[in-house]
Amino acid sequence: MEHDIVDTDVARRSARMYVPLSLGAGLAFYLAATFVGGNGLVARLGGATWVTLLSFIVSMPIVTSRVKTRARK
Amino acid sequence: MTEQALSLTVPVEGMTCASCVSHVENALKEVPGVSDVAVNLATGKASMRFDPGRANLSDIQRAVDDVGYHVPLAELTLDVRGLTCASCVDHVEGALKELRGVEEAVVNLGLGTARVRYIPGVVTVGQMKRAVREVGYEAQERSAGADALDRERQAREEEIRRQGRNLMVAGAIGMLVMLGTFYDMAGPLQRWIPVWLSYKWVLGLLTTPIVLGPGRQFFVNSWRGLRHGVTDMNLLYATGIGAAYGIAVINTLFPSAGFGGEGATFFESAALLTAFIVLGRWLEALTRGRTSEAIRKLMKLQPKIARVLRGDTEEEIPAEEVEVGDVVLVRPGESIPVDGTVRDGYSAVDESMLTGESLPVEKKAGDAVIGGTLNRTGAFRFVATRVGKETALAQIIKLVEDAQASKAPIQKLADWVAGHFILGVHMLAIAVFVFWFFFGYRLFFDPQSSFILSPYRLGEIGVFGFSLLLSVTVLVISCPCAVGLATPSAMMAGAGKGAEHGVLFKGAEAIENASKLRTIVFDKTGTLTRGEPSVTDIVPVAGASPKADDELLHLAAATEKNSEHPLGEAIVRAAHGRGLAVPDPLSFNSIPGQGVEARVDGRSVLLGNRRLMSEHALEFSAHLSHAERLEAEGKTVMFVAVDGAPAGLIAVADTLKEHSLEAIRQLHRLGLEVAMITGDNRRTAEAIGRQVEIDRVLAEVLPQDKAEQVRQLQSQGKKVAMVGDGVNDAPALAQADVGMAIGSGTDVAKETGHVILIKDDVRDVVVALEVAKATMRKVKQNLFWAFVYNTLGIPLGAGLLYPFLRLIVSPELAAAMMALSSVSVTLNTLLLKRFVPSMHRRSPTSGARTPWPDRQPVKAAAGE
Repeated sequence: MEHDIVDTDVARRSARMYVPLSLGAGLAFYLAATFVGGNGLVARLGGATWVTLLSFIVSMPIVTSRVKTRARK
Repeated sequence: MTEQALSLTVPVEGMTCASCVSHVENALKEVPGVSDVAVNLATGKASMRFDPGRANLSDIQRAVDDVGYHVPLAELTLDVRGLTCASCVDHVEGALKELRGVEEAVVNLGLGTARVRYIPGVVTVGQMKRAVREVGYEAQERSAGADALDRERQAREEEIRRQGRNLMVAGAIGMLVMLGTFYDMAGPLQRWIPVWLSYKWVLGLLTTPIVLGPGRQFFVNSWRGLRHGVTDMNLLYATGIGAAYGIAVINTLFPSAGFGGEGATFFESAALLTAFIVLGRWLEALTRGRTSEAIRKLMKLQPKIARVLRGDTEEEIPAEEVEVGDVVLVRPGESIPVDGTVRDGYSAVDESMLTGESLPVEKKAGDAVIGGTLNRTGAFRFVATRVGKETALAQIIKLVEDAQASKAPIQKLADWVAGHFILGVHMLAIAVFVFWFFFGYRLFFDPQSSFILSPYRLGEIGVFGFSLLLSVTVLVISCPCAVGLATPSAMMAGAGKGAEHGVLFKGAEAIENASKLRTIVFDKTGTLTRGEPSVTDIVPVAGASPKADDELLHLAAATEKNSEHPLGEAIVRAAHGRGLAVPDPLSFNSIPGQGVEARVDGRSVLLGNRRLMSEHALEFSAHLSHAERLEAEGKTVMFVAVDGAPAGLIAVADTLKEHSLEAIRQLHRLGLEVAMITGDNRRTAEAIGRQVEIDRVLAEVLPQDKAEQVRQLQSQGKKVAMVGDGVNDAPALAQADVGMAIGSGTDVAKETGHVILIKDDVRDVVVALEVAKATMRKVKQNLFWAFVYNTLGIPLGAGLLYPFLRLIVSPELAAAMMALSSVSVTLNTLLLKRFVPSMHRRSPTSGARTPWPDRQPVKAAAGE
């Protein structure tokens, strides 16, 4: 049905936006932690992973629902 | 939306919080052809209007499934008689599948059965049986007791069992993990704890089944939602449990990885966090069902069996199969299966369960009986007049269910807040993590610091472990599930409490509005007064004596015998009431706008107003002062002349109902302004107004202008309720902020207005207002506690106290607080069950609990 096709397309287009966003946030954290200094590699990696995960959780629904709204229009 | 839009209510499984509500609502709103969506967390139902031409049930189901929830299907098997060939199978399957709400129908010719999968609430078993019967077969339900009530109970019990099992696993193993974790601090208890229980890998082995078993539901549900762009409480739990468990595993397997090493495994955090969240779910499942007890009580009233007369024989059949016109037999102690009219027999019927009327009501031939009420003493037969969904009980259940499923304005705000909360919390979790990682740890960390209510020291935990711990705690402590439950649970309890007393709120908005009222406008006739004029004074010219009174009344009644005027009818009733003979007049002539003339017992009688008398040159000047005094009391005075000479005055007035004054005094005690609206002249209206202590009298108002009067009061900034007859006062009831239709009896579906008072008792206005106020008090208390919990909990969880006290909230303590908040909100709501409206409170000496010991059905007070 039309509904399903729109959903698949929305999922793809959304992922192309929120994945780079989340990875970007994680990378920014990693770079900041490195720049500040005094943090071990594991702490920096762990922190970057946690920030990436939370950014993913935050950005995924926001981006998906916006893309979905636009697609429905 | 076309004109064919239909109302639909479907059950939705898997909703746990207010954000779930907004996800389901948004998903349904996106389905083309669906509008007016309202999802209720407490009832687990979604109500909407949908256009069958543009959307079907599958679209609605898919939309709900897509966002991670589920529209559950019920299944039942019908025994079908009369199946002989394959075409019969097609017929029966076709008839069943045509019903809206039937997803699948499979007829087995060999077994003579039809297995039907359907959406409960959308289609009933009775409709299925009727559909089968209409194509020429007989159907009988195979699984007795699988009605809506049982299914709902079964589903709730299943959830309690499921979460109970999870709690057993998580609780029991979690205790072992805690013992192992605190082995070093166990002191003299250490001898009872095997040392191997404190090994990190053992703790890991014990925690794993908790996270993958009872905790699995949170990961599965949150992933389902995330895939479709939605977040809910499960996500908070999943990230919290996942992070605590993940870091513990890394620190156990790779202690030198830099995450805090073996001293920061926190397996007990993951285990107890899961256990407390599951405890919360279990307690919620236990208590949530209780808030809808009222509706279950009503449903239980529905009798299962009816004894009908078919030909000369008595047959016992399921109550839902009784048809209009069937003659039903009822014996003492039996419930009345459907609505009807008594054909023969005599009994007293207990109708308290539906109307709140405590005294059994006498029933004789011609009287109406209500399905679901209890026959007490005699036996009788009645003719069924309303069956199935048309019965009073079914209508009341529907009305209460609709009210419970609807959403109050205050709830919409709370849902919006809660729905947007989750993302906000995750953003806050990032901020907390970044703060403690880059600044907080370096500035404030102390290895001797510990968790609140725990001897456990943070020790060698590193910057990442410490920041993560606080970030996870923020996620767990922020769960707004109490916010989501606060309003719907109280609204359900309030709507049920109202129904217990014969007060039906048509929606949660009606409850909220009723709690804010400042002015109550009563329609006079039929609401405050009996609506039927009665003779109040007889003043013969011949002088006051019983004989002269009777003679005057006798002549006047005979004159009015053929009149259809209400004043004339009052005179005839009064004469009958005194046992006077009322002969037919020899001649009768109605004089429009003036009165009547007739010949009675060979005498010429004139009866009417002043103009009639002056046109006939009859002099009443000696009695005018008397007439004026009566008129000043709000009475209508009729002049009587016999054989061309004044004979006397007869005064007629609409008398007050017995509890009007009591109700208005109580409304004054509640601080409300009370107004009365009537088409009567000002003098009459004010006389009545004085008798019942009305604050404001709106007189000489035509029926069509009543709504305008209400609008004018509203324009003064007042929240106005209009109390009146649901049919005649419909425009004014609709205009008011709260329209209360009084004395509607049990045909509630036809009533306009936002609140329906089943009994014809003005005191129920007070009951409605008190129930509404009590309900809104509960809503506000619940919201207050829910928000206080989050407002205080989040800063604590984020480590606000740490710089000063060196204490942080552990994730498991956060989970315990979260569980407590939603359970405390539900328990607070349950206190509403103890609420008794002031009009129903009795003095300790009177004994009886019920409030209406002296009330009789309203009858004409003839001759008073």
